[in-house]
Amino acid sequence: MLIYLSKRLGLSVLVALFASILAFSLLRLQGNAASALAGEGARPEDIALIIQTYGLDRPLVVQYLSWLGDVLQGDFGTSYFFRSPVADLILAKVGNTVILALASLSIALCLAIPLGVLAAVYSGTWIDRICVLISLMGQALPSFFLALCLIMVFAIKLRWLPASGDASWRHFVLPALTLGYYITPPFMRLVRAGMIDALGNDYVRTARAKGLPGYRVVTKHALRNALVPVVGLVAVQLGLLIGGSVVIESIFALDGLGYLAYQSIGYRDFPVLQAVVLLLAVVYVVLVLLADLVNAWIDPRLRVS
Amino acid sequence: MTLLTVDKLSVDFGRGATALHAVRDLSFCVAEGETLCIVGESGCGKSMTSLAIMDLLPRIARRSVAGMTMGETDLTRPGGIRAVRGNQMAMIFQEPMTALNPAFPIGDQMTEAYIHHSGATPAAARARAIEMLNEVGIASPEKRLGQYPHQLSGGLRQRVMIAMALMTSPKLLIADEPTTALDVTIQAQILRLLRDLQKRLGIAIIFITHDLGLVSRIADRVVVMYAGTRVEEGNVAEIFDNPRHPYTRALIDCIPQPGKTERGAMLGTIPGVVPAMIGDVRGCAFRTRCALATAGCEGVIPTHGTGSHQWVCLHETTLQEGTT
Repeated sequence: MLIYLSKRLGLSVLVALFASILAFSLLRLQGNAASALAGEGARPEDIALIIQTYGLDRPLVVQYLSWLGDVLQGDFGTSYFFRSPVADLILAKVGNTVILALASLSIALCLAIPLGVLAAVYSGTWIDRICVLISLMGQALPSFFLALCLIMVFAIKLRWLPASGDASWRHFVLPALTLGYYITPPFMRLVRAGMIDALGNDYVRTARAKGLPGYRVVTKHALRNALVPVVGLVAVQLGLLIGGSVVIESIFALDGLGYLAYQSIGYRDFPVLQAVVLLLAVVYVVLVLLADLVNAWIDPRLRVS
Repeated sequence: MTLLTVDKLSVDFGRGATALHAVRDLSFCVAEGETLCIVGESGCGKSMTSLAIMDLLPRIARRSVAGMTMGETDLTRPGGIRAVRGNQMAMIFQEPMTALNPAFPIGDQMTEAYIHHSGATPAAARARAIEMLNEVGIASPEKRLGQYPHQLSGGLRQRVMIAMALMTSPKLLIADEPTTALDVTIQAQILRLLRDLQKRLGIAIIFITHDLGLVSRIADRVVVMYAGTRVEEGNVAEIFDNPRHPYTRALIDCIPQPGKTERGAMLGTIPGVVPAMIGDVRGCAFRTRCALATAGCEGVIPTHGTGSHQWVCLHETTLQEGTT
């Protein structure tokens, strides 16, 4: 197990490193930060000065290595645009995004698992069709539209919840509902398919033959085995969510990572973007590793000796 | 004492002219402590019969039955089957590789139903599981309880299945081809184990198999099934020494017999396969493969015999005179 873990960790570091190289070089292909910083109508001398100040005239490899060296010492550089340390910027925003991500993921799972199980147990009947319809609507409705509807009803008409901001937990309810419902369909489909598959298995028949009540057969024997692929999707979706949702964060004025990244792209704010990409790569790698560990716990056959 | 009575059991898939009749008007009973073998080729409805008794049929199957009782319990009522299934009546299956849940240790799987039925404490259930694993001849049972199915061999898993089925001291064990998926030496061990357990614990067994050779080794009574219906029934001596239905006779001819079958001689085969019983079915289903078939076989077929030995065939006399 230890050997396996250390191998996986080593691989994870490599993946993160590769992602950072890719991000670094692609960003520099995209355009010149200096001209964006200098603004429109800047004199060539100003641009040259900026290039020199930020060391943008050095070879790419040198720029990358010096950046990497700083990162390894915990220094993510200073934002070109916000003029403050990148680490502070990200730390200030990442909280909102993580809260939103976890909340919407929880909502999605709370919807998808019962709906998927119901649809599978009653597959082919009207119950199945209703469950599939509920989840399909989540996919068909654009998230911004659902967001506006929720704001109309709960913030404007009923005045139960605030429409924007991030001051309290109540501010997170509507964005989390929107995002959660939006990502429900793939989970629901996976649970439904997994459950239909699991319910057809011999061990489910054995559990029934033992005289266990129906709900125990479904929730214990079938569900456990149906959840293996769901865990993988949780990792991927959580990674996406932590990357931030520009649309939802903008609509609800939740100042998060997605909005920060969006702004930084506009300003060609390389240090911020590089840090965000590196952070997401690390988050992904960690999540996938966690998913594997959770799956090994769920299904003992996946455990490596 | 009769333990289980099944009266006119039918299992259908679909309705009307395209309905597939998997089991047709099958009636039989099992006495306490006896072994009833249900024999027939693949596709003749044996497994559907066992699943129908346990009320474990797939959802698309329709079961109809005139009466089905176990002791005093009416198994046609939902409450009746719920009280009995996994408690007084247990079942083991053909595929020990897939019949256990890969996600739980076998100790958990053995104890959960016992706790559910008897309300025992987990510790008492664990002790019971160890006792049962000992009973089926598994060494170091304490260690096995923590293991997962994929860590056990096929033979061991079938032993675990048997131990699990015996946890609640059932009166009836339905064994659906329990040795078919195992290799020959393990088959013999499992068979011996089932026979031993039956003697010691006095349980009745419904043993479902396509292998008539096994039947002679364990059965008290035999029901021969063909295309979803009973063609002959009798005790084991009657079936083997005096088979009356051409199908039973053909099945027996397929078994090599030491001393009787000549070296190098061709074993019997029955040409063709069991026909699917679709739509309106009449006459003897075996007539399409039967050497004795006549036009009369499409009509109503009488049941012959009295007492324990009965068979369903038009030609009562032809076989008595002996054609083989």
